[in-house]
Amino acid sequence: MATALLDELGCGDAVQRAESWRYSRNAIRALSQLDFAPAAGDAVFDAPLREQFEWPQTRGRRLVFVNGRLAPALSDLVDADASVATPTTGVCTLRLGPTAGLVHLVHVAVPGATATRWQARLEVEVAAPRACLVEHQVGASGADVLGVLDIGLALAPQARLEWVSLADLPATTSLVRRATVSLARQAQLRSTHAVFGGRLQRLELGVAIRGEQARLESRGVFVLRGREHADIQLDISHAARDSACDILWRGVADQRARAIFHGGITVEPGADGSDAGLSNKNVLLSPHAEIDTKPALVIHADEVKAAHGATVGQIDERALFYLRSRGIALAAARRMLVAAFCAEALAGIDDAALRERIEALAAARLPAPEGAP
Amino acid sequence: MLKIENLHVRVAGKEILKGLSLQVNAGEVHAIMGPNGAGKSTLGNVLAGRDGYEVSQGSVTYDGRNLLELEPEARAAAGVFLAFQYPVEIPGVNNTYFLRAALNAQRKARGEGELDTMQFLKRVREKLAVLHLKDELLHRAVNAGFSGGEKKRNEIFQLALLEPKLAILDETDSGLDIDALKMVAEGVNSMRDPGRAFIVVTHYQRLLDYIVPDVVHVLADGRIVESGDASLAHKLEEHGYAWIAERRVAGAA
Ligand SMILES: Nc1ncnc2c1ncn2[C@@H]1O[C@H](COP(=O)(O)OP(=O)(O)O)[C@@H](O)[C@H]1O
Ligand SMILES: [Mg+2]
Repeated sequence: MATALLDELGCGDAVQRAESWRYSRNAIRALSQLDFAPAAGDAVFDAPLREQFEWPQTRGRRLVFVNGRLAPALSDLVDADASVATPTTGVCTLRLGPTAGLVHLVHVAVPGATATRWQARLEVEVAAPRACLVEHQVGASGADVLGVLDIGLALAPQARLEWVSLADLPATTSLVRRATVSLARQAQLRSTHAVFGGRLQRLELGVAIRGEQARLESRGVFVLRGREHADIQLDISHAARDSACDILWRGVADQRARAIFHGGITVEPGADGSDAGLSNKNVLLSPHAEIDTKPALVIHADEVKAAHGATVGQIDERALFYLRSRGIALAAARRMLVAAFCAEALAGIDDAALRERIEALAAARLPAPEGAP
Repeated sequence: MLKIENLHVRVAGKEILKGLSLQVNAGEVHAIMGPNGAGKSTLGNVLAGRDGYEVSQGSVTYDGRNLLELEPEARAAAGVFLAFQYPVEIPGVNNTYFLRAALNAQRKARGEGELDTMQFLKRVREKLAVLHLKDELLHRAVNAGFSGGEKKRNEIFQLALLEPKLAILDETDSGLDIDALKMVAEGVNSMRDPGRAFIVVTHYQRLLDYIVPDVVHVLADGRIVESGDASLAHKLEEHGYAWIAERRVAGAA
């Protein structure tokens, strides 16, 4: 089982993929010690888990998958111009029509009696001039669950999509997501990933900017504590003239958490006049936490604007003292500063209620004040 | 109210305060003057509870309690306030949110009821008016992008809002033009009260024309080397700090 999982998820012979798993190899090896059984697609679960995703604002616009399998009883797209097809190949295809509006796509990881795993593949086709896809990963504590989700996302010429991805997972849930995105001419994708918790979260976001003047805006935040481990791998390729990417991620790790951020941007030959920007700032809240960040820009074209910056630091002690000197307790002051630090990466979410919901979840991920109830 | 006895403080392994003693009673305004690097800000930071200041000797008693064993937030709740020489910019933290969190945290720690939004905003508006600060500052992040003068006035605005018992002003006057200086002085004077004390740290006697102190101290090389009434500030202005040093040498001889 152990080597099989490593091979399957990309730790096998392919040198380049193995390299991208370098910092997560031990985490995946530990996971592969577990004897995973297939997770049940008809698993039942109780109210607290339901409440995590049954948002009133997305009723009639929601698709729910339980352990990777579409759950028709929980799904309803009546109010959205969207359709879903699940042919026998096991690939689920979601089409967002011209007036799709918001679609809430939920994956629920329900633990079994022992360690279980699920696998799914989802293709999303976006023809809409404006659509919002809220991809939402939730789970319950219990026996280990490992989910592996492949997502294909294709934006037609001039399509515009806001993709909000929220993975809010307990420390017994692991999730590997491999997203392959392509942007046609003048398409615009704004993605905001919130990566909270999880025993092991691996997010591979590969974006091929194939069309001229297409634009990717990638925002993201990860907030980790305990022994949680997150591995973010961005691979952006500019393959067309005058295309743009703007990447801004923030990371926070407390206690013994571990995070890896790889921001790879390649400007292919001929993608002249492209504009690529990457900023990744991180904060360690504990001396035992660790974050590795690595921007990697490779430019093969002319007249390219490229800028990148990546930092790992501590919370600003001067700001912390300033807040405390005004009477704000240490834990509250830390939360305030960390929330402010993350806010920039969440600011792009248009829907204020959704943004506030995610901000609140981020705050809840921060360590409880010592000795507090 | 405040009694500092033989205080020795080390910063980064270097002794900065070298036996400082000072007593401040309720209702009094004390000015502390002294050359750059004398240890004035160090004193303010130690009183407010900043990390990294090691007290190797001496004591600080505030309202009968050992101030040095309290966390910074507990000192604030007990009524100690430091107006920073260099107020910190905190991008992303909204000023109104911050002020309300601070005020309510202090009130809660003291066992008082928290203020609701209406009560809070009413109080804020009153205090803003005194300092001629624009409402608009409330919607910005804490000190972020404020001009030097706005930062200093914002410190005094916080002082007015939080109503501490012991306020330490660390060079609040530096970098202010005469109008801003008068506003700051007006803000402070309007808060003078038999139950409240001020320690006004300044480099120049100019501020003391507007905030007239009861006592003026000279802090040099980590100690109070001279104390007197308001006229001492004028003498210093005239003769410079070298004059104090010469007198000390003469006195020692
Ligand atoms: N964090 C620090 N690390 C090292 N030296 C410091 C630090 N803070 C202050 N000092 C030193 O302590 C002395 C007193 O500084 P300070 O209290 O700021 O003086 P003042 O406010 O009177 O100008 C100076 O020599 C300064 O260089
Ligand atoms: Mg100073």
